[in-house]
Amino acid sequence: MEITFAVLLWGVRIAFLVVLYLFVIRSFGALQRALGSEMAVAARPLGIAFLVVQRSVRGAPRVGDRLPLRAVNAIGRDAGNDLVINDEAASARHALVEFADGEWWVEDAGSTNGTLVNGETVRSRERLQYGDELGIGRVALRLEQ
Amino acid sequence: MNKSQGAALPASPPRWGLGGIAPRSRFTELSLLVWVGALAVLGFVAVVGAETSSFGSASIVVPAIFIVLVLSLHVFLIARRFRGDQVLMPIAAGFTAIGLVLVQRLASDLLLQQLSWTIIAGGAFAATILIPRDLTALARFKWTWAFLGVLLLVAPLFPIIGREINGARIWVKVGPGSIEPWEAVKLLLVIFFAAYLEEYREVLSRSQRRIGPFPIPPIPYLVPIVAMWGIAMLVMIFEKDIGATALFFGIFLAMLFLATGEGFYAVLGLALLLVGGFVAYQLFGHVQVRVDTWLRPFDEDLRFGSGYQLVQGLYALANGGLFGAGLGNGMPDRIPVVWSDFVFDAFAEETGFAGALALLTLYLLFLYRGMVIALRAPTTFLQLLAAGLSFIIALQTLVIVGGNARLIPLTGITLPFVAYGGSSLVTNWMLVALLLRVSEVSNRMRGGP
Repeated sequence: MEITFAVLLWGVRIAFLVVLYLFVIRSFGALQRALGSEMAVAARPLGIAFLVVQRSVRGAPRVGDRLPLRAVNAIGRDAGNDLVINDEAASARHALVEFADGEWWVEDAGSTNGTLVNGETVRSRERLQYGDELGIGRVALRLEQ
Repeated sequence: MNKSQGAALPASPPRWGLGGIAPRSRFTELSLLVWVGALAVLGFVAVVGAETSSFGSASIVVPAIFIVLVLSLHVFLIARRFRGDQVLMPIAAGFTAIGLVLVQRLASDLLLQQLSWTIIAGGAFAATILIPRDLTALARFKWTWAFLGVLLLVAPLFPIIGREINGARIWVKVGPGSIEPWEAVKLLLVIFFAAYLEEYREVLSRSQRRIGPFPIPPIPYLVPIVAMWGIAMLVMIFEKDIGATALFFGIFLAMLFLATGEGFYAVLGLALLLVGGFVAYQLFGHVQVRVDTWLRPFDEDLRFGSGYQLVQGLYALANGGLFGAGLGNGMPDRIPVVWSDFVFDAFAEETGFAGALALLTLYLLFLYRGMVIALRAPTTFLQLLAAGLSFIIALQTLVIVGGNARLIPLTGITLPFVAYGGSSLVTNWMLVALLLRVSEVSNRMRGGP
């Protein structure tokens, strides 16, 4: 009788450790899945605003294109950007356009030639209204709903 | 210039995105809570079984109450159609379950008290989910929080309400018991730091004047930094609480670094802390004792004196080995005040390196999740808030586990959620609720699960 109890008790102790590890593993899995779906959401266009190409060089992007915006959009010459501008006057990572506090904001990402809003240079981070024209290199984009 | 940070975030799901999808099942949370429930039951059966040499049904009562509590929090979140994170609450519940098992193991006469505190903590969690309705509103009252925080911090120094327990004057009498105001102070200060740094980070990080590689910030903005240093030192001197000082100052430096990206501030702050620490070592007996105990606990004059607790803790760690002595089978009761200062060593003795590793991994997952929530948060205030809150848990764990393992001098910081103590449990659950709410704001703004 005594031996059976001792064996059972050890069974419970081992089960505790096993369950602890399963909990850690499940938590990690859930975390990774949450992260994956959050990233997928971040990569999806919000569908509330577009940058419409007004002026362009070399047809990339083409004039008249409506580029859908995500929550955060990197703009620049590099292929890693969300919106790629094929113009040597644009920097590799030129500017960021993001949606925060219910409004659109543009931030210069340390570009060589600067980012313009309606012809004026963006100092740090500025609010964008619908209809504003964004100048990046020789390309002009208008924020539209 | 971003000046609209005080603007209210949308209080209801906006038309775009996933706002239209109705009642939110929190299946991930529920499936993780099942494991937490199993953990609580197995832990109690093992510990009570070892004590009474039988499997009585009495051992199930406490875990059953705990499971009901956690499930009602889960149902509460579903009823609120809460969209925030689903992993942090189960992890916090897992820590709390382990904590209850350890209180039963190490100080079973305190179990009822700890269980009551757990229920209060659950209530505080639910309240923090509801209030304030607009999380960003917290930023508007930042000086109120700072004032309240400093007031609470110095409260133990006042003659009638203050109380000195085990050499540290960090308690305030409330009715029959006493609470540690420091625990609430850490939340208030993180909220204040986040709001302050959001407002002034531009000035602090884009400084025009430099001496060599060092930026010279405009003097007025330096005042809060130096004031913080002064207050941290004051706490150390008068309340004899080295742990709180390190934690308090560490959080501040980390948030300053996060907000400005200037490593210089962190270096300057650490240098100030080291200088302050050195001076304190020279001047104050209790600091000297802590450091000497850390450096040579096995010396003849310390082994049975001030080093006794640490030495017994180290023996416990050694006794644990790879897989531990088994829950309820070790001798952690040999460590004085083991249920509050040395729970980590007790857990490591009975579940071994394996158990300790799993516990530390859980803390790492908590920090990881907290940082991801911070990265995703839509405003600087919310980002700094989430980062600061997760950092509290990480730094506390680091300081106490390091102290228990004799990596750094031992301090009276509690192991978050696990160590015995009511004030700590309640504030940590409020902290989890705040993190959940930051993640909910992100999910509402950006669309997400």
